[in-house]
Amino acid sequence: MGRDTRRSRLVIVALLIVAFTLITLDYKTGRSASGARGVVHSVLGGVEDGVTAVTRPIGRTASSLAHPNRYHDRADRLAQENAGLRRQLADNAEIGRMSKQLGDLRLIADKGQYSIVPAKVIAVGDVSGTDWTVTINAGRDDGVDVDKTVLNADGLVGTVSSATAHTAVVRLACDPGSRVGARLERTQLLGAVAGGQGPSALTFTLYDASYRVQKGDRLVTFGSMDYVAGVPIGVVTKVTDVGGLSRTAEVKPYVSVGTLDLVGVVVGRPAADPGDRLLAPQPVPTQPAPTQPAAPGTATPGTATPGTATPGTATPGTATPGTTTSGTIGAGQGGTG
Amino acid sequence: MWDIVGSADTLRARTFVAAIALLSVALVVQVSIVARLGLPGGRLDLVLVLLAAISLIEGPLVGAVSGFVVGVLADLASSHVLGQSALVMCLVGYAVGLVMDATERSVAVPLAAIAGACMAGTLGYAATTSIFGEAALTGGEAVVRALAAGIYAVLLTPFLFPLLAAGSRRLSGRPRRGGR
Repeated sequence: MGRDTRRSRLVIVALLIVAFTLITLDYKTGRSASGARGVVHSVLGGVEDGVTAVTRPIGRTASSLAHPNRYHDRADRLAQENAGLRRQLADNAEIGRMSKQLGDLRLIADKGQYSIVPAKVIAVGDVSGTDWTVTINAGRDDGVDVDKTVLNADGLVGTVSSATAHTAVVRLACDPGSRVGARLERTQLLGAVAGGQGPSALTFTLYDASYRVQKGDRLVTFGSMDYVAGVPIGVVTKVTDVGGLSRTAEVKPYVSVGTLDLVGVVVGRPAADPGDRLLAPQPVPTQPAPTQPAAPGTATPGTATPGTATPGTATPGTATPGTTTSGTIGAGQGGTG
Repeated sequence: MWDIVGSADTLRARTFVAAIALLSVALVVQVSIVARLGLPGGRLDLVLVLLAAISLIEGPLVGAVSGFVVGVLADLASSHVLGQSALVMCLVGYAVGLVMDATERSVAVPLAAIAGACMAGTLGYAATTSIFGEAALTGGEAVVRALAAGIYAVLLTPFLFPLLAAGSRRLSGRPRRGGR
């Protein structure tokens, strides 16, 4: 046993009591961002921004270390020049990647006529790994505010849950506490998309039980006070519940949490609902369900999973024999079976 | 807290400050760099690895106190209930500190202790989150994640542990691990 067993026991008991007191107080009084949280968020956010800014060009620094400056003779000079050019190439690749991301983001914002503030992800989650949040390097000074919608080139990322002057915390759509009003593509049918299934799955509940949700149906945000309308959310991969007053389905989000880099915060809503404009065009509208989601050009990681699904894996009672039900929009209406 | 002030001779304040500073740096590195690496299977928990190593070297008291302080800091920086990771990290620091005298017996002891601490800590995070908030992970996911955290801890420990031990020896200004 280590030294001071009696004293360390006293200390740990005291610390545990303090921990439980903190938990009780915070749990009871609600989790509003108190002053201390705001201070810690803004300080840590600044540090995280700095760390990200330093670690991003780290490959460049390493390559410059590998090619030190020596002008002694011609070979060395050429080698140095070579290294410089190589650095420039690497820089260009990075700049090209960034500008493509910015261009894609701009494109989706233009399609929906959103006014966006671009921002970079500077921290992912928290230390315990149980928070589905990311921290971005834009804050109140840039026009970002709590409850604004955050998207990237692929679709919906989440909403801003708290903001300091220069950073903001975004609650991802896959957070267990997140609920997003969703609309089925080409219909006005409403539902809600909730998280809690891990990073690559969402749960969609359709309020109208008479409509048959099918694998391959795509979802966009419905739009409300907080959310702008028309942001692509994901594609239905599996219908899980067909009984009761509502229908539940599993949704594969377009956005992959692991590769989040550049995001846009929607600070200005469009004058009119953009409808389904932001979804990638589907190849043939009357295609059977299994090939439907494989829309080329979406360039999302989400297209891989639906494509691999075979008709046999569909839940019975949804549309298993009905791979020929071409009219996915209105044909299912009234089938209250 | 009264015992800490009362026995300042044995509980060098420098050790606490160094431990907490190191863990605070790890806090930022964890969310800004490690979390972005996208390691397969789960995540490396740098903070837990460091906390376990520090407790193993410095004992249960340093482990519990620094775990608690850094835990509160982590809670303030997150969006979950305050005190949640403080509770887990405090317990992890204390429990690992209890086996500090066994580290001289075998090289496997620190490895096992730190890996075990990471797994227990990851499961503890998942458990406290599902008790105090909404469950962020299902049971299976939490177990997979805990195993991954343990494996990454085993990979990292051989590099970190000797470094920390040397740092602690230098900080105290005498060969600590000699005659006990």
